Order: sequence, then C-alpha cells, then structure tokens
Amino acid sequence: MDQKTESLAALADRIRLHAVRMVATHGLGYLGQALSSAEILATVYGRVYRPEVDRIVISPGHYVIGAFAAAAECGLLDPAALATYGHDGSRLEAIGTERSPSIDLTCGSLGQGLSAAVGFALSDRLLGRTDARTVVLVSDGELEEGQVWEAAMFAAHHGLGGIIALVDANNSQVDGPVAEITTIEPVADKWRAFGWHAQDVDGHDIQALESALDKAVRSDRPAVVTARTATTTGLDCLPSTIDGHFVKLPPKLAEQAVAELEARLA
Amino acid sequence: MRRPPYPTVLKPYGRTLLDLARVDERIVCLSGDLTRQCEIDLFRDELPERFVNVGMAEANMIGIAGALARAGHVPFVHTFGVFATRRPFDQIVNAVAYPNLPVRIVGFMPGISSPGGPSHQAIEDVALMRALPNLTVIDAADATEIQQVVPAILDHPGPVYLRLKRGEIPVIFEEGYEFSMHRAQRLRTGGDAVIVANGMMLPSAIVATDILAATGIDCGLVHAPVVKPLDAATVVDAAAGVRAVVTAENHTIVGGLGSAVAEALAEAGSGARLRRVGLRDTFAEGALTAHHLFQTYDLTTQSIVDAVWGVLKPGGPAPVAPTSPAAVGEYSPV
Repeated sequence: MDQKTESLAALADRIRLHAVRMVATHGLGYLGQALSSAEILATVYGRVYRPEVDRIVISPGHYVIGAFAAAAECGLLDPAALATYGHDGSRLEAIGTERSPSIDLTCGSLGQGLSAAVGFALSDRLLGRTDARTVVLVSDGELEEGQVWEAAMFAAHHGLGGIIALVDANNSQVDGPVAEITTIEPVADKWRAFGWHAQDVDGHDIQALESALDKAVRSDRPAVVTARTATTTGLDCLPSTIDGHFVKLPPKLAEQAVAELEARLA
Repeated sequence: MRRPPYPTVLKPYGRTLLDLARVDERIVCLSGDLTRQCEIDLFRDELPERFVNVGMAEANMIGIAGALARAGHVPFVHTFGVFATRRPFDQIVNAVAYPNLPVRIVGFMPGISSPGGPSHQAIEDVALMRALPNLTVIDAADATEIQQVVPAILDHPGPVYLRLKRGEIPVIFEEGYEFSMHRAQRLRTGGDAVIVANGMMLPSAIVATDILAATGIDCGLVHAPVVKPLDAATVVDAAAGVRAVVTAENHTIVGGLGSAVAEALAEAGSGARLRRVGLRDTFAEGALTAHHLFQTYDLTTQSIVDAVWGVLKPGGPAPVAPTSPAAVGEYSPV
C-alpha cells in the first residue's frame, strides 16, 4: 500500500473506533453498518467528496453513524458531538433526521436517497454547476425498494454523470441475510442494464475502491460501485453470530473492540 | 359571482404557471406522464429546459422535487390527484412535508369528476394531505381563483397540495374576486343556515343557496378553498346563530372539508347541527360520465338543499333543484 492508501485504511479504522464508542454508550446499535461501510466512507471522504462543491446523500438513515464519524475525522463536524449520538435531545439521532449535521440528505424510510441524488444532480445541471458531484450511499437491502430503480432509470435516461452511487453490499437486513430474503443478484448487471457505469469490488479493499471511484468520477454516465462487505469486518473480537443490523455491544466487548482498534492504529 | 351555466376556459392553471415561470427561473415543472392533462404542455413547449417528464414514477418524482427544493428551485409537480397522493405518500412525508420544503404538488381530476373508476378517483387526497404537518391544502373552484392561487403559493415557505378540476374550467367569480391564503370567502350571510363548500361543489352550493333563499330560508354561503389551515374564525362566525351548517365537498366526508369544519365548530362550542355532503365512506363505481356519479353518490345541488331542509324542517317537501343544461363550452353543476 502506498502512503495515501495506508492513511485511508487508518481513516476507516478511526471511523470504526468512533462508531464503537458511539454505540457502546447504548450497549447496542448500528455498529454493523459502520463496520461494513468504513472503507467505503474513508475512500469517499478522503478521495472523492469535496464538501464545498459536492453533495453527499446517505440514503439509509441507519448509516449516519459512519458518516458522522467520517465527518468528525475530516473537520466537518465537531468530534465532541459524537458523544451525544443517539441520546435524548441530540441532533445526532441514531436514524438520520433533518437535523443530522454534516450531510446533505438522509432518509430513514429506505429506498429514497437515490431520487434525492437525482434531484441534486438535476439542479446542478439546471444551474450549470458542471463540476459538481453527488455522492450517494445506498445499501443492498434498499435495492428491494422499487423507487431505487425508478431513480436509476431516470438518472441514466437523463445522463446524470455527476452521480456516484456506492452500494454497501453487506448482505444484511433486519430479518437476516439479504440473499435469503430476496435475490438481488446480479447487482452490477442490473445497474448496467439500467444504463449505469457499474463496477463490483471488494468493499474492504481500499485500493480496489480507489480505482473504482476514480473510474466512477470520470464516467459520463451515472456510476455505481457495488462494494462487497461484511458487518463484522475490522473487529476480530466480534462473534461471527452477531445480528449485523443491530449489534449488541456490552461493556466488556466494547472494551475489547476499542483495544483492538487502538492497537491497530498505534 | 355568476350563476350557471358558467362560461369555461381551458388551461388557466397552465397559462398562469407559464407566465410566472417566464420571469422566475426558480420554477421547475415536473410531469408524471400526464402533461397535456395537467395543462403543462404550455410550459413544456416554451420552457423545455425547465420541464422534466419523470414518467410514471411518482415516488421518484416526489423525491426529485424535494431535492430540487432543497437546492433553491421551486418545483411544481403534476399528475392526477389520485397518483399525486396515494402512491407517493411516504415520499411526500419524508422528502417534502417533514423537511418543510416549498414543493407544490398539483393534483388534477379531483374526487368523482373522473369516470375512470376508483383507481382514478382522488376521493381521500385532501384527508391524506391535511393530516401531514406543514402541508397547506387548497381545493380551487374556478379559473379566476386559479389565476390567483398560483402566484399566491409561489413564495409560500412550505409545501402545498393544490387540487384542480381537469378540462373545461368554469368562470364563477367576477373581476375583483380576491383569493386569500388565510381568509375563507363569505359569499353570502344568512341567519338560518350556512353552506360551506369549495372546489367542484361550489357551483352546486351557490344554486342551492339561491333555491333555499327563494323559499324564505336565510341561507349563508362560505367558500373555503384553503382546507388547511382552515379559516376557522370565519366558519365559526358564519355559523353563529344558525341552526344548520352543511358542508359540500367532492371528496369522502371522512377527513376533508366536512371534517375540518366539524372540528372548528365543535372546538368553538357551536350549537348548529352539521350535515356533510360528499362521498359517504364509499368508493364510486359505474360511470361513463361524472354527471352520473355525482347523482348516484348524492353530491348534487339537490343533496345540499335536502341536507339543509332536513335539519331546519320548515314543513312540506324540499324544493326541487332545477337541472341547468350546459351547452358545449359551458359548465353547470349537477
């Protein structure tokens, strides 16, 4: 790994560390989403997303934990705010809301973020903001919602090349593995058939993500990177039997997780 | 105001929106594959760069509109009322109502004006939109009003649902009519009864008021195009001292104008009896024409007369509403 890639890998682990601490105060929460999307978010925030020009949409509101952590690491959010995550009266609600800081839009009701990204990209076109990108994180479970495909068709028909979608394919939804509930494969072929520039990569491989996102940025068509991930990646201390959608993190396990990540970051 | 048969005009909404958009670049026009039907072929043909046909994808259309509004545009979203509200309800909640964005959702072909069967009839759209925080809900009655509603809602800070008749639009109000977002229109005062109506039921309410007046009943008339927020003060004031309040709406009597008036009267402690003319918790089947549906489901001038008569019980049979024939290019109530 070159130095840049190495620093993105460290950023991913710092996102994980923040997320562990944010969830630990509750004993349970959306840690799996942060673990699966850590490299995706690190690569996006470290290499693609330019806050002053671009927009970022976190379609599944359950993923704001990772976005908050990334934003805190990148100077877009006061790191002290992370301690309030999910607590009464905090702007940082566990499932994103209109008050969620540092992001342009999030949706607690799943499957709606791609339409919003389309709206932002359309606005950029109307206003002549040709350089602007709209980065949108989508989860694989969300692909079960029909609206995603309405938006996908529209984006390709209108050639909205400023859209870069990342699908966190962690194969996890509330009732179990996505693959057991609905066959969404072949995911990349579906996007391709809808007219998108589509790539399928290991979502924990920073170099693969960097390369895919570079191509996505250059694409004239809307581009999607399907990132294959898992909800326990990066924390060996987690039992393989955890519910990835909503992780139980008792104090002792939280201590182990913090120690593991701090050791790796040292 | 005029009496039927009314002259009609075509596309008063479409012309007004285009006039505004020519000088206001914030306006973006979205269509759900019903462009001519929603009068926005005028917009498409003259300002194609700001016209977006989203196709048959209402959920996506609302999501796009929400993001456009966040980015500073003023999106006007168009489809039939039934598809504008039922299909993308969750999207309206999350992408428009909760963030309180200036999206204008314009739903054509209200209530049982569609002969397209229950799948095409927006009979509960007002109830759905009225239940949502931040929404303003308007059921406009005629071309004069429509021409004023569109500029009135342009800079309203939150979302608006505007319900419009499709096709030939009657001209009921004379020059000088002034639409208000905040005031209901007290078209006539009356000491015995008051009728509260809007949208396509206003012409019937006007005729019913005249018929009742001719029998010696002092019947008032309130036109309430803004169903939410309802001008409760005007309604309560008009109802003070009368024995009967009758609402008339081209919509189910559950959750629309009749419900809004009932809430206002009950909270004010009004002693007037209330009758609601509208669809009585039913879908409406079996029509080639809207005329047939209005008669079958009791949304006529006679329905309003009978409702007032039934409360006041002045003795003898209720007066019979005349049928008012309309030539081509004219409009008369059923």
